[in-house]
Amino acid sequence: MIRYLLRRLGGVLVVMLLVTAVAFAVFFLLPSDPARLSCGKPCTPDRLAQVRALLGYDHSVPVQYLQYLHGIVLGRSYGSGAASLHCPAPCFGYSFPQGRPVTALIADRFPVTLSIALGAALLWLVVGVLAGLACALYRDSWLDRLVTVGALGGVSAPTFLVGLVGILIFGFRFNMLPVNGYVAFTDDPAQWAFHLILPWCTLAFVFAAIYARLTRTQVLEVLGEDYIAVARAKGLSRRRVFVRHALRAGLTPVLTLFALDLGGLLGGAVITEKVFGMQGLGALLIDAVASSDLPVVVGCTVFAGLLIVLANLAVDLLYGYLDPRVTS
Amino acid sequence: MRRTLLVGAVAALLAVSVSGCHANNKSAGPAQTKAKTGGELDVLSPSPTINLDPAKSQNLATSTIHLVLRSLTTWQESATQAPTVVPDLATDTGRVSNGGKTWTYTLKSGLKYADGSPIVAADIKYGVERSFAPQLSGGLAYHKTLLVGGNSYQGPFDGKELDSISTPDDHTIVFQLNKPSGDWPWIVSMPAFAPVPKKDENVQHYGDNPMASGPYQVSSLKQGSTLVLKRNPHWDRSTDPVRTAEPDTIVYTMGLDPTVINQRLIADQGKDRNAISSSRVPASLLPKVLGDPSVGQRLATSPSGALSYLAINVTHPPLNNLKVRQALEYAVNKKAVQVAAGGAKIGGDLASTLITPGIPGYQSYNAYPADPTGDLAKAKSLLSQAGHASGISLTMLTQNDSINLAEAQAVQSGLTAAGIKVRLKPEDSDSFYADTGASKGDYDLAMLGWLPDYPSATGNIEPLFDSSQIGNGNFNCSHYSNPAVDKLIAQASAETDQATAQGLWQQADRTIMADAPVVPLLYARNAFLRGSDVANFFAPPYPPYADMLVVGLAG
Repeated sequence: MIRYLLRRLGGVLVVMLLVTAVAFAVFFLLPSDPARLSCGKPCTPDRLAQVRALLGYDHSVPVQYLQYLHGIVLGRSYGSGAASLHCPAPCFGYSFPQGRPVTALIADRFPVTLSIALGAALLWLVVGVLAGLACALYRDSWLDRLVTVGALGGVSAPTFLVGLVGILIFGFRFNMLPVNGYVAFTDDPAQWAFHLILPWCTLAFVFAAIYARLTRTQVLEVLGEDYIAVARAKGLSRRRVFVRHALRAGLTPVLTLFALDLGGLLGGAVITEKVFGMQGLGALLIDAVASSDLPVVVGCTVFAGLLIVLANLAVDLLYGYLDPRVTS
Repeated sequence: MRRTLLVGAVAALLAVSVSGCHANNKSAGPAQTKAKTGGELDVLSPSPTINLDPAKSQNLATSTIHLVLRSLTTWQESATQAPTVVPDLATDTGRVSNGGKTWTYTLKSGLKYADGSPIVAADIKYGVERSFAPQLSGGLAYHKTLLVGGNSYQGPFDGKELDSISTPDDHTIVFQLNKPSGDWPWIVSMPAFAPVPKKDENVQHYGDNPMASGPYQVSSLKQGSTLVLKRNPHWDRSTDPVRTAEPDTIVYTMGLDPTVINQRLIADQGKDRNAISSSRVPASLLPKVLGDPSVGQRLATSPSGALSYLAINVTHPPLNNLKVRQALEYAVNKKAVQVAAGGAKIGGDLASTLITPGIPGYQSYNAYPADPTGDLAKAKSLLSQAGHASGISLTMLTQNDSINLAEAQAVQSGLTAAGIKVRLKPEDSDSFYADTGASKGDYDLAMLGWLPDYPSATGNIEPLFDSSQIGNGNFNCSHYSNPAVDKLIAQASAETDQATAQGLWQQADRTIMADAPVVPLLYARNAFLRGSDVANFFAPPYPPYADMLVVGLAG
């Protein structure tokens, strides 16, 4: 198990190096010049050269990449002397327009995304899996049909549509829920939850549908397996067959998907954050893309990549636990 | 791209679905009545961050940063007239000597910061100096090339001073310029000319709570969330010619979706009655706003604004032929462009000049008089005179958002009718500006907009038509180079007598239009919504944004 873990961690490192390299290429493949963005108006060639030198863009591409990696591990400074801009490790770059290290921006915004993602994930997992199980248990009943049709709606509806309809109905029409904004948990836990109800439900509506369908299919598939028939033939109770034999195998793919979905969502619930005016990682990324704040784009991409990779690692470890053959 | 599409769809949905909800019983307070003293004004902003560091700010004189910071001069705005420059911290707009190269200012007496300490001339010098530091670049930089030694100066943090700014005493500051500048009184209204006390500062964080000289100071700032401004007890109303400072607190909520902001102001519920929007009304919500008088009367529309224009690349055959360019002037259907922009009331008036209404010295004239839909006969005749009777084919760059595309298509169809085939090349904004700012200029036509950074005709003419502004990311996208015009620009920029300068700019405007390097399309308007309890909310002709220095709550 330890060797397996070390091997997986090695893999994580390699993948993250690749992610940083690809993300870093953004600087050179996109037409916009991040130095020009910070040059002021009007921007003279002299001034542009000064900003370029300050930000390290005057070095060759490989040197810049090495400096970037160096910053992640050991931190770095932009400029020298009393007024140099310090970016402590792990430094994912410095947003000049926002005047902050990218790491600090991500740290600022992460609680927002975390709040949205965790609450929504909990909701959709419970609702989705329960609905899926109910369908599998009572296959072809009215309940099964209702959930299946409802799930089709959820799967087909884009997040922004669900979110806006939610805002219209519960915000503007009935004035029951706030239409946008985020309140920090540390400021006011009740308001925090109150403001998050709509985003949670929006995401959960879309995701739960997928989970219900997946759970239903997986469990039904497992219930058709020979070993279930054997278990039944041995005279085990229906309940025991279902809980002990069918669920463990049937829910494994659901957990895999869950870890990946959660990992992806933690990297930024882009549309949900935008619709509900919440300044999470997704909003940070989108605003950075819109304003060509490339260090932020790269930083968010690397961070989101890291979360996905970690989610994958979690899934792998989970598999290793559930199925010992994987680790050997 | 994707985002624009989504927002468009979102907006359309909101527009359709809400129309049934708030059809009546909306009281709307008057727009320009006097505001009462006190209360909390809320500003709903789509921008995720607010930058209050004067060195890094590109805020215009009527914008947020100037609620906290005062500069040497400021702008006196009105709802209909061009602004005038008036003294702010200084006693006058500047005393000029040395043929326009030396400008002297005296500070008003008794000026204090929010902590009660006196504002001295050395602080203004320091504020300007720190704007030269590469760490703090990004703001309006018109002073940087004008001040002697400015091109090589890199800020005060390594102990060096900029010798072209001197402060003989605490109340006097003198600027030495490397060439005469008639715009200097406008330039010292910019954020970099706000006082910054010279002491150990944290360069990265000064903007979080800058030392206030204006009527408000930062109470709290959470980037991406809220900015709360509270009163500065040491601001003296009697020294300030423009700021009314009526609300007790001003709260900015950042990072809101533009559609949701405007939807909230259309709904006008609860606390939102005290709110204003810093986001223009999206085109998709305009029918809703204009269709309901109680909402429509809460709309502040600027009489003028940025110039929308079609840049003609004068170096590309056959556009190097004046007759062909003149044919374009007649062929464009400006009326169709206006319709695409939302109509006269919202989109803006048809343009024919380069200096825009709202800029001192604007004069209405039309070098190519034609019907608003164009003069196809004249265009065709000019084309055949140029030897292109069978028509020509051109490529046109445009940004790929819905408004720009709609306007580009309106231009395209007008030109097609005159026998000029146009292939549209829509690009995302980064690629668009990279291409139009490139030195090689690989296009025939480009759809552009331009708003000067201060109300002087210099800002209308020089960046777009001076030969030094071709390529390198600059904005002479027509690649227009005329030594006579360059000379006129130099002469007009150096003229310190406003009336004479305005005459020269007018001459430049007409000289350039005779060469037809651009087709002026619209003086584009901006429109902003307010809540029903907000007073004195208007967008002047220039700058076409709400004047933040005077808005307050209705009594």
